[in-house]
Amino acid sequence: MFSFIKKDLLVFWRDRKEVLISLLAPILILVVLHVAFSGISVKDAGEMDLRVGLILEDDKATGLKQFEEALLEMDLREIEIDAMMEQAETLSPIGIMVKLFEDPELSSWIHTIEMNEEEAQKQIENGELDAIIKIPEGFTYDVLGKVMLDEPVETPIRFQIEEHSLETDILAGVIDNYMEALNFQFALSAVTGGEEGSEPALPQGGREVIKENAVEIELAQYYTIGMSSLFALFIAATVAAKTVTEKRERVFNRILLTNSRPFSYLMGKVISTFCMAWIQLMLVFVVTDLMLGIFPEKSTEFWLGIIVIVTFFSLSISGLSAIFTSLTIRMHNINTANGLFTMVVMGFAALGGNFFSLEQFPEWVQALSQWTPTGVVIDLFTEFSQNGNAISFAVPLMKQFGFFIGFLVIGILLFPERGKS
Amino acid sequence: MIETVKLSKTFKGKKAVDEIDLYIDEGESIGLLGPNGAGKSTTISMISSLLKPTAGDVKLNGKSTIKNPAEIRRILGVVPQEIALYEELSAYENLKFFGEIYNVKKTILEQRIQEILEMVGLKKPQKELVKTFSGGMKRRVNIAAALLHDPKILILDEPTVGIDPQSRNHILETVRKLNEENGTTVLYTSHYMEEVEQLCKRVYIMDHGKVVASGSKEELLSILSTEDMIQVTLSEMSDTVVEKVKSIKNIRRVDATDKSLRIISKKGSSILSDLIHAVESEGILLTNFQMETPSLEDVFLHITGRTLRD
Ligand SMILES: Nc1ncnc2c1ncn2[C@@H]1O[C@H](COP(=O)(O)OP(=O)(O)OP(=O)(O)O)[C@@H](O)[C@H]1O
Ligand SMILES: [Mg+2]
Repeated sequence: MFSFIKKDLLVFWRDRKEVLISLLAPILILVVLHVAFSGISVKDAGEMDLRVGLILEDDKATGLKQFEEALLEMDLREIEIDAMMEQAETLSPIGIMVKLFEDPELSSWIHTIEMNEEEAQKQIENGELDAIIKIPEGFTYDVLGKVMLDEPVETPIRFQIEEHSLETDILAGVIDNYMEALNFQFALSAVTGGEEGSEPALPQGGREVIKENAVEIELAQYYTIGMSSLFALFIAATVAAKTVTEKRERVFNRILLTNSRPFSYLMGKVISTFCMAWIQLMLVFVVTDLMLGIFPEKSTEFWLGIIVIVTFFSLSISGLSAIFTSLTIRMHNINTANGLFTMVVMGFAALGGNFFSLEQFPEWVQALSQWTPTGVVIDLFTEFSQNGNAISFAVPLMKQFGFFIGFLVIGILLFPERGKS
Repeated sequence: MIETVKLSKTFKGKKAVDEIDLYIDEGESIGLLGPNGAGKSTTISMISSLLKPTAGDVKLNGKSTIKNPAEIRRILGVVPQEIALYEELSAYENLKFFGEIYNVKKTILEQRIQEILEMVGLKKPQKELVKTFSGGMKRRVNIAAALLHDPKILILDEPTVGIDPQSRNHILETVRKLNEENGTTVLYTSHYMEEVEQLCKRVYIMDHGKVVASGSKEELLSILSTEDMIQVTLSEMSDTVVEKVKSIKNIRRVDATDKSLRIISKKGSSILSDLIHAVESEGILLTNFQMETPSLEDVFLHITGRTLRD
C-alpha cells in the first residue's frame, strides 16, 4: 500500500508545476470574483467616502405654519387641530434627515455639507461632490400632508448624483429607506397618539445599510467555501484522470499481474487526492484571507476549526476519487468518463449549495443536500463561521467520514479484476 | 506447465484468436511467430490472465487459471508490447515500485534491482527519468520490470520492435542467458523470424488467429516441401557423370552448369553416398557440397502465401 502511495505522490511531485497551478486556480478565481463583487463586499465602511451636498430649501417653521393654515381651512374642531399640530411639531422630517446623516456609522463615510443650490451644482460639476440631496421648499408641509391627511406629494426630495457608483446606490437606498421609515414613523405616532416626549427614533435606513455590509462579507466567505469545495471535488476527477495514463501506458496491467490488492492501488489515489485537496483548501483559505481579509476573525480556534473541517471534507473527496478511479479503469471511453465525473461533481455542487443558496428550494432538496459532502461542509462552515466552536461538529464530521468509507467501499467493489484492453 | 485449450477471443464478432492449442514445458523457449494482427498479443494477454477468453481455457499444471488467476500471475513475468512504465519516474524508481508491489523482500530487492540493471546494461543511467530514455533503453527497462520477482516463465511480446541493433542484441542475449543459464521458461513473440530461429527451440506460427504450423525449427522446415535442394561443385564436368547422377535413386532432377550440379531429390532421402560413389567412379572429385537451407520465413511464405512483414 505504501508503495502505491509513494509512487502516486512521487508522480504528482514530478509534475509539481502543473499540480501547483491547478491548486492555485481557485484562488485566482476567488480573487476575480472578489473584485467583481468588491463594491458590495467592502471590508469596512471606512474605505468608502461620499461627499454629499445638502440643499435645505425648506424651513420647518414655515412648513408648520402652512400645515396649520391648511388644517384651519378644514372643517375640524379646535382640539383636533391642536393635537395634530403637536404631533407635527415633534415629527420634523428635515430634522430626521439631518440627524440621519449625523449617525456615526453613516457619517463615517457620507459627509454631508449644507449649501445653496448654485454652489452645489458648481461643486458637483467639478467633482468636489458625489451627490446632491435637495429638500425642496414645501417639503415639510408636503410630508405632513401626506402622512397625516393622505394628500398627494407634490414636492419630492430630489436626489442627484454625478456618477453612478455603488456608494451612491447605497445612498439612494438610504434615502428610500428614510422615506419609508418616515411614513411608518408617522403612522406609528398617529396610532400611539403622539405621547409626550416620544421623539421618533432614527429611521431604520442607517442600520440596515451597515447590516447589508456585514451580509456581503459573509457573501465573500460563502463564495470562498463554495468555490474552494467545488474545486477540491474536481481534484478527485483529476487524480482519476491520471489513471488513464496508467491504463494507456499499460502500467495498470503490470500492476494487475503483481496480484496487488485493489485497496492498495486505490489507496495511492485516495491519499494523493487527500493531500492535494487538503493543501488546496488550506491554501485557498489562508491566501484569500491574507489577500482579501475574508475571515475577519483570526483566532487560533477559528483556524483549528477550519483545519478540522478541511481535513474531513478532504477525506470524503479522497473517497470519491476511489470511485472515479475504478470507473476510469472500467470505462472504455475516457471522454465519457470525464463527462460523467464532471456531472457528478457539478451535481454535488449544485445540491450542496456551492453555487447558490438552497433556501428557496423545496424541503426535500434541502434534505438531500444534507447528504452530499458539499452540502455538509458548506453548512458546517457557515454555522462555524457564525457561531464558532459553540456548534456541534460531531454529526457533520461523522457524515463526512461515512462518505469516505462508503465511497471507498464502492470504489473497491467497482475495481475490475482484469484490465480492459 | 502451461497449456491452452481451444483458446479463442472474439472482438465484436471478429475472431482475433481462434481455437489455439499450445503448450509450454518447463525450461523451454518457445517462439510465437506471426505477422501484424495475427493475434499474438491477444493470445499472450489471455495466457497472462489480463484478458478473459471468449472460449477455451488456459491451464497451469493442469488447472484452469480463468477463475483464479492469482497463481499464474505469481510465476509469470510479462514484458508487454508497449512500454509499461512510469515515464515521470526514473528507471530505478520504476523498478523499486514494481519490485515492492511484487512483494520482493526488502532485504534482497535492492540487490536484485542492481543485478537486473546490470543485466540489461542500464546501471549507469538508472537515476534518470524514463521519459528521457531512448526507445531501446525504455525497452530494456520494460524487460527489467518483469524480472524483479524472478519469474519462472517469461513472456515477451515483441520486445525488440523499433530499436537499434545494439539494444536488440543486448535484449536477445539477455533472454538467451535467462533461458539457458537461469532455466527460465521463455515464450517469445516476434515477427522477426531470425530472432525466433536464434532463440527458440520450438515455434508456433500464427496467422489470422490460428496456429498454422508448429514444431521444432527442423520440423517446421521439413514441411516446407517434399524435396531437398543440393548444390555440388565438381573438379571436372562430363556428360557421363551427369547421366550417372541422374540415375541415382530418389534424385528427381539434375541441372548442370559449368562445373556445378543443382540436384533436386526426394525430401530426406540419403543420396550423399550414392552421389560420391557415382562421381568418384568417373575419376572426378566432389569439391563442394551444399544443402540449400530454407528459412522459417520461407516456411511462412509456403503456408500462407504471405511474407511475415508486410
Ligand atoms: N481490444 C480489441 N478490440 C478489438 N479488436 C482487437 C482488440 N485487440 C486486438 N484486436 C484485433 O485482434 C487482432 C489480433 O490483434 P493482436 O494485437 O493480438 O495481434 P498481434 O499478432 O499482436 O499483432 P502485432 O504484431 O501488430 O502486435 C487484430 O486484428 C486486432 O485488430
Ligand atoms: Mg502484438
